[in-house]
Amino acid sequence: MSAHPGPRARLAGGLLFWYAVLGGAVAWAVHLLAGWGVDELTCASGSDHIGGVPLRAAVGAAVALPALATVGALLAAVLLWRRTHPPSEGEDRSVGRGRLLAVVGFWSNLLFLTIIVLGGVALLVLPPCQR
Amino acid sequence: MSTTAAPVPGASREQLGRLEEHWGERPSLRAWLTTVDHKKIGRRYLVTAGLFFALAGLSALAMRTQLARPESRLLSPQEYNQLFTMHGTAMIFLFATPMLFGFGNFLVPLLIGARDMAFPKLNALGYWIFLFAGLFMWASLPFGAAPNAGWFAYVPLTGQQHTPGLHMDVYSLGLLFLGIATTAGSINFIVTALKLRAPGMSLNRVPLFVWAIVATAFMVIFALPALNLDNAMLFLDRRFGTHFFDPAAGGNVLLWQHLFWIFGHPDVYIIVMPALGIVSAVLPAFTRRGVVGYVLVVFAIVAISIISFGVWVHHMFATGLPRLSYSFFSAASTIITIPSGIQIFAWLATMLLGRLVVRVPLLFVIGFIVTFVLGGFTGTMFALTAFDQQVTDSYFVVAHFHYVLIGGAVFPILAAIYYWLPKITGRMYHEGLGRWAFWLVFAGMHVTFFPMHLYGLFGMPRRVYTYPSEPGWDGWNLVSTIGSYLLAVGLLLVVVGVVHAIRRGRPAPPDPWGGDTLEWSTDSPPKSYNFPVLPQVHSLHPNWDESSRESMGAGAEADRILADGRTTLLTSELDGRREREVEMPGSSWQPLLLALVMLLFFTAMLFAWYPVAAVAAVAVAGTVATWLWPPRRPDRELGVSA
Ligand code: HEM
Ligand SMILES: [Cu+2]
Repeated sequence: MSAHPGPRARLAGGLLFWYAVLGGAVAWAVHLLAGWGVDELTCASGSDHIGGVPLRAAVGAAVALPALATVGALLAAVLLWRRTHPPSEGEDRSVGRGRLLAVVGFWSNLLFLTIIVLGGVALLVLPPCQR
Repeated sequence: MSTTAAPVPGASREQLGRLEEHWGERPSLRAWLTTVDHKKIGRRYLVTAGLFFALAGLSALAMRTQLARPESRLLSPQEYNQLFTMHGTAMIFLFATPMLFGFGNFLVPLLIGARDMAFPKLNALGYWIFLFAGLFMWASLPFGAAPNAGWFAYVPLTGQQHTPGLHMDVYSLGLLFLGIATTAGSINFIVTALKLRAPGMSLNRVPLFVWAIVATAFMVIFALPALNLDNAMLFLDRRFGTHFFDPAAGGNVLLWQHLFWIFGHPDVYIIVMPALGIVSAVLPAFTRRGVVGYVLVVFAIVAISIISFGVWVHHMFATGLPRLSYSFFSAASTIITIPSGIQIFAWLATMLLGRLVVRVPLLFVIGFIVTFVLGGFTGTMFALTAFDQQVTDSYFVVAHFHYVLIGGAVFPILAAIYYWLPKITGRMYHEGLGRWAFWLVFAGMHVTFFPMHLYGLFGMPRRVYTYPSEPGWDGWNLVSTIGSYLLAVGLLLVVVGVVHAIRRGRPAPPDPWGGDTLEWSTDSPPKSYNFPVLPQVHSLHPNWDESSRESMGAGAEADRILADGRTTLLTSELDGRREREVEMPGSSWQPLLLALVMLLFFTAMLFAWYPVAAVAAVAVAGTVATWLWPPRRPDRELGVSA
């Protein structure tokens, strides 16, 4: 945070930063809507295939891809945390703020990852259309 | 670290005079009706929500009186239906959220070191709408036309065919009307907290109460549209014969439930979250230290506000979704307990590591923890689907949600009343009276609601206006009723305490508790401009830190006094860096006027006076247009003389 980066690097840094903080939350929202929507709509139509793909695989993708995205966000949060840690004397207050968001991002990504993985476990044990 | 005086203002006499000139209001009827001062509006929210609480409480007492004995004939079934519906609806929509928004209104600008909310006129509009919407709904009760199908108003029961009359029209129109106020208030909180924080208040220095209010506001913005849509469709179905919820014509009954609970589950957190923020705000003063694990509590607030949107289906386990989709929601419902637990442990750790100062606000906080944890415990029992099937729609559920709501909202609100009363009124309350009130409320609450678990398990259904004499029902119902009177006496003592403080209380110093946040660094009650000098914030506990305090005294700078107009400082969202000063609007008739024409519109819709409604709609558009018409700006603001 010492040298002033160019606008491109700033944009990339900014995107990475928000990915680290909110990536897990967004991934989980996508997982929930996609998993639930695909499962319920397909079952309601009385089939267990969706466009030729087995339903289980489609729902599996709605679990695995968001889970991977969340793992990425988790790593980004760790990176952010290490960059803003340890606190130095006379630091800029944006470093303190960055560290707060890094910690918040880290724990929330972990939490969302847990939720998604629990959904994945359910997928392993439950037939997709059982009521 | 505890100081009882406001820093000697670093502003000169002459500057204070000019501030008063720009911000002060001479008391008059006109000033009363046109004010946009967040402190006055906040106070009004508190009083009005308190009145609606009293009405809803009296409805509850009437129900408990009826249920004291089996086969009682005090209330007719029709009356009972209206009473429990109005009780539930008012407690949720007209008491809990507005009361907490009242504290938010009064406190947020003071906590972040600003001179008002970001949109003061919108704030006034929100209050008037809340008042009118509340009166609109309550006014139906004396006419026997109040909502009568339960606070969650499931179709098809609420359709025109099964519930004729105005009842459910009052419900849907009233909540739509009220929704405008809640939405406006939420936008205001978000913008205020993001843009008006004192310089230096980066995100890691924002008080937990402000985090909680902002998270709540975001939840409202995302959750309320679902409820509004639901109510709009219900009204159209009932009045104009559309078929949104009519399966015979391709509509869907479950649609109501989905939309309702997409709103309804986050709403539980919308009610409880700011109350938890109050707990985090009250504890530091009475434990003499900051809340343990600030960062984790922030995380918990953010996480809850997001996850709460992914759990609504747990209210609908009986509707036959595929088990797999259901389990996606169960995962979220299970995990959301973790951040809630984190907050509880953070408070317990704060109390263990701090030095306890046992005053009335702390008693209510402890009462909150005990009650809320018990409610949470019975809540996790529902996670066992078999148990849930067994107790659904029994008094066990009524017991559970009163533990959560009274524990999670009423106790913190009472703590907040005692804690901030000195700041709001400038008077101290009577400690002995407060303690009596606490013990009566606490005992009354548990005597009323604990037995409900029992007769719920013995099979007594909820929402029955009377019951036959059954083993285990009669005796415990009588106990509940006695408890509710005890509770009422306790709440009456709270009111007596407030009135006594205002009439007879000793004048409050600026900082009676040695609090850590900025509201304690200014007068009690604060001047119209809140702070003579806007602070420069250096830490999370500015009132405990010398450099922040000094920035308002000896270290004052003219660009934080801003005595030349009605202005406050705009700062950056993340780091609280100074951007520029902004002009704030002064008193105006527009908020009241706009709320009145809206009231006319909703009343006309209710009684099907459609031409009147059309005129009112035009009037609403006209008022909004004048409101938004760009004013003639003084040259200074156009940058001419800058
Ligand atoms: C002040 C003391 C209170 C008492 C004595 C009380 C008592 C009652 C009673 C007797 C019922 C009706 C039970 C039935 O027939 O099914 C009820 C329902 C309800 N109460 Fe309370 N209550 C109190 C406070 C609160 C508070 C503070 C809230 C919320 C913030 C609340 C929310 C509700 C709700 C949502 C219902 C359900 C209404 C429905 O079934 O549609 N109550 N309460
Ligand atoms: Cu829920």
